[in-house]
Amino acid sequence: MSRSEQSSVTRLEEIVGGLYAVTDPAQLAARAVCGVRPAVIARPADPAQIAEILRLSAAEKLAVIPSASGTKLGIGSPPARYDIALDLSRMNRVLAYDPQDLTLGVEPGVRIDDLLGTLAEKKQFLPLAVPFSERATIGGIVATNSSSPLRHAYGGVRDFCLGMEFVTGEGARAKSGGRVVKNVTGYDLHKLLIGSLGTLAVITRVNFRTFPMPPAQGTFAASFSSAEAAFDFCRDISRSVLTPQMVEVADPGAGRLLFSPEASTRIIPMHWSVIISGAGQPAVVDRYARELGRMADAAKAAEFLPLNDAEQAFVCARIREFPRLVLEAAPDAAIFRIGVLPGATPSLLRNLNEIARHYQVDAATLTRASGIVYAAFFVPAGKGAPSIATASAVREAFHICSLPETAANAMLEWCPSEMKRVGIDCWGPPRPDYELMRRVKHSFDPQNVLAPGRFAGGI
Amino acid sequence: MEPQLIHELEALLGPTAVLSAPEDLMLYEYDGSVELGSPRCIVFPTSASEVAGIVRLANKYETPIVGRGAGTGLSGGAIARSGGIVVAFSRMNHILEIDGANLRAVVQPGVVNLDLSRAVEHLGLYFAPDPSSQKSCTIGGNVSENSGGPHTLAYGVTANHVTGLELVLPEGEIVRIGGRSIETSGYDLAGLFVGSEGTLALVTEITVRLMRKPEAVKTLLAVYDTLDDTTESVVEITARAITPAACEMLDGFTLRAVEDFVHAGFPKDCAAVLLIEVEGLTEAVEAQAAEITEVCRLHRAREVRAARNNEERNLLWRGRKEAFGAMGRISPMYYVQDGVIPRTRLPETLRRIEEISRKYDLQIGNIFHAGDGNLHPLILFDERDRAQFARVVAAGGEIMRHCVEVGGALTGEHGIGMEKNELMPLIFTPDDLALMERVRAAFNPAGRLNPGKVLPMGKACGEIRVPPTPSPAAIPT
Repeated sequence: MSRSEQSSVTRLEEIVGGLYAVTDPAQLAARAVCGVRPAVIARPADPAQIAEILRLSAAEKLAVIPSASGTKLGIGSPPARYDIALDLSRMNRVLAYDPQDLTLGVEPGVRIDDLLGTLAEKKQFLPLAVPFSERATIGGIVATNSSSPLRHAYGGVRDFCLGMEFVTGEGARAKSGGRVVKNVTGYDLHKLLIGSLGTLAVITRVNFRTFPMPPAQGTFAASFSSAEAAFDFCRDISRSVLTPQMVEVADPGAGRLLFSPEASTRIIPMHWSVIISGAGQPAVVDRYARELGRMADAAKAAEFLPLNDAEQAFVCARIREFPRLVLEAAPDAAIFRIGVLPGATPSLLRNLNEIARHYQVDAATLTRASGIVYAAFFVPAGKGAPSIATASAVREAFHICSLPETAANAMLEWCPSEMKRVGIDCWGPPRPDYELMRRVKHSFDPQNVLAPGRFAGGI
Repeated sequence: MEPQLIHELEALLGPTAVLSAPEDLMLYEYDGSVELGSPRCIVFPTSASEVAGIVRLANKYETPIVGRGAGTGLSGGAIARSGGIVVAFSRMNHILEIDGANLRAVVQPGVVNLDLSRAVEHLGLYFAPDPSSQKSCTIGGNVSENSGGPHTLAYGVTANHVTGLELVLPEGEIVRIGGRSIETSGYDLAGLFVGSEGTLALVTEITVRLMRKPEAVKTLLAVYDTLDDTTESVVEITARAITPAACEMLDGFTLRAVEDFVHAGFPKDCAAVLLIEVEGLTEAVEAQAAEITEVCRLHRAREVRAARNNEERNLLWRGRKEAFGAMGRISPMYYVQDGVIPRTRLPETLRRIEEISRKYDLQIGNIFHAGDGNLHPLILFDERDRAQFARVVAAGGEIMRHCVEVGGALTGEHGIGMEKNELMPLIFTPDDLALMERVRAAFNPAGRLNPGKVLPMGKACGEIRVPPTPSPAAIPT
């Protein structure tokens, strides 16, 4: 550690207290981002300490990456610099919860599982069925814009986040939005922080609207022998009067990861599976069962299963955890998250499977029918050098997505760090709007203190 | 003004696309608010490249530039406060594409809100944001103001329904942000630009989500003898987590004016009514309507009745949506506010507004989106009475301060504009505002785009602006 680093550590100790400035190598290793280790971990207790740390960093030209549980530090480009890991785990309080108003304000270190537990006591919830749910925190979920299958009915984070408080790269405490459910007072700066990977500001409070738990929920699985039949079924659902909580399509590759291991469901993993949840009064759930059964028949489903409570809990948890399950089965997997119109999805999946066959890698896709595809490429164990074949498949997948007829937006959410070092930009080909994003970055973080190099366009 | 600029604009757009005669300019001095401002010319582009050309000329002549849709805005967003060029989007009014299978439409900014819903009706689809002015307001204006409407309670505001934009930046550059799919990686620029009130860029094309019409709709009218019973019903509907598609409140004073005008069958002798709509599958609608009826009865509603058919439903909604217009029958002018409060604070807030009305000896009507706590107190006045107008401004400021005190916001859907920009420090700290200034400067460095809007100009911090002369009562639709 250099002399100036040492003096920065001393300053950090003064700011957060000696106990909360950590230089233990094992802990530093756990905060590594794409193999780059920080020099120190700082665990601030409040926004004032964060502001001081960021002012210090701006003055000393130190780079700071915020995280809490660190479950999603692998997402994004390798940092250009990384000095301080800002660990927000201590900031884990629910600051305000007004169940009667259905609004909530929380600190970034609150774990989603704990929060959902608190809300469940009031028969409410947030539609954030996100991966790594045992450890994931609100700050990380917001900063990576984690995807939830419940998006189908409730939208993404941007649709139910009411406002935020945060600290900019210069150490200024600021906020936007508010705590009320409808608000157009000032610029919606907080929307910029959603999915920003900590490159604009450190989030210190997030306000959400909460949702009432539906009185009843039913989950149904329909199996099809072909992708065409599965997507015809999805199209029929979208043209019907039903408004499901989620509609997910697992290809056989994803089916094997999602449904086979414990055999806890009757779903046939070798097929294309469509999993649908409907919620509301019991009479509404009965209606879903009837209508979906009829539509599944019309689409020539091999099987249509209303899942029992245990199966429903299992299947929903597996779908929620899909990226984690892929990474557990194949740590070197490359997992895309692709925004695509529903109408373009079947041909995109055909192309992705074609690419997988060509490069002799395995593929698994889980599709949110409203227009998000999780597509994983991986090499089965013992079948040669994984990264070369996977990297080639990744390059070609980016190319396919960028074609006008696909018009998809692909981001390589997970891949081995080595792949990023051989010139694969996980954000995909450059886009004209990157220039606007650089202006946003410069407004929030002119000294480039926050997570430099981690974002799209080299931000 | 510089005749050379007019010549160049005419050369760019053709002589029929530029207005600069004083009698023409007068028509563009006002919008739906009480603000006024005179532009130097109005231009009517037909394409993004023409808009870019206009922006480059504005830069050359260092002239302000203000976008305008139908001019129905309620905070002065489309008013040329510092003069300059008003870019009227009325000739960019084409629906460019309807993609029913993917629930998307691509429109030019001058498309009228309701026209889009009509154009996709045959597909069983509609565009969800439904401001009261939807018969005349444009989607470009909705995007700039992030407009709401009664049904945003269930379906969200404009920002929730826009996936992509084409913009002309103040340098004259044309750029696309977002896209057609529900998400695009990178910063959520569309989230920033929607609701930026024309201060960051001019919007030349919009990709929106369409929604499928519900199977069943039930519209309930609950009639009350006291305001407290009405507001307590709203609190309990929210607390019981019933989720109506719309929950609107009209007080007795407003109702009487509306009923004389619309003849919707509103009782004229009550304290207030709630107009509540539930939508969805037939089974869900029946269950929710029953629960809402129970809550209303529990809070002493004198009567709860359901619209028996579409005609009755439309009449009730006409009463709601034309209420502002009906006010023109009983008062020469009104000043409408747009504060938001947590829904649990509704009863005390309505009592506070009554007190303020007595304190300043003003008639205040209340007609608003109760379900999401978005108030619209209508303060009636006669612009010839200057002393009364000063009281209007003071009363408005007091209501606004109350909203802030209980944890609310200055505006739920009408925008900050030039009406509330000096009130921004009530909500935001100097650091908050400095960051917003910086973001504005990042896109609009010379401040030429819609100057004097959204952010305070630093003259009278925390004071509501008193227009020199209020404009004649515009009739919002």
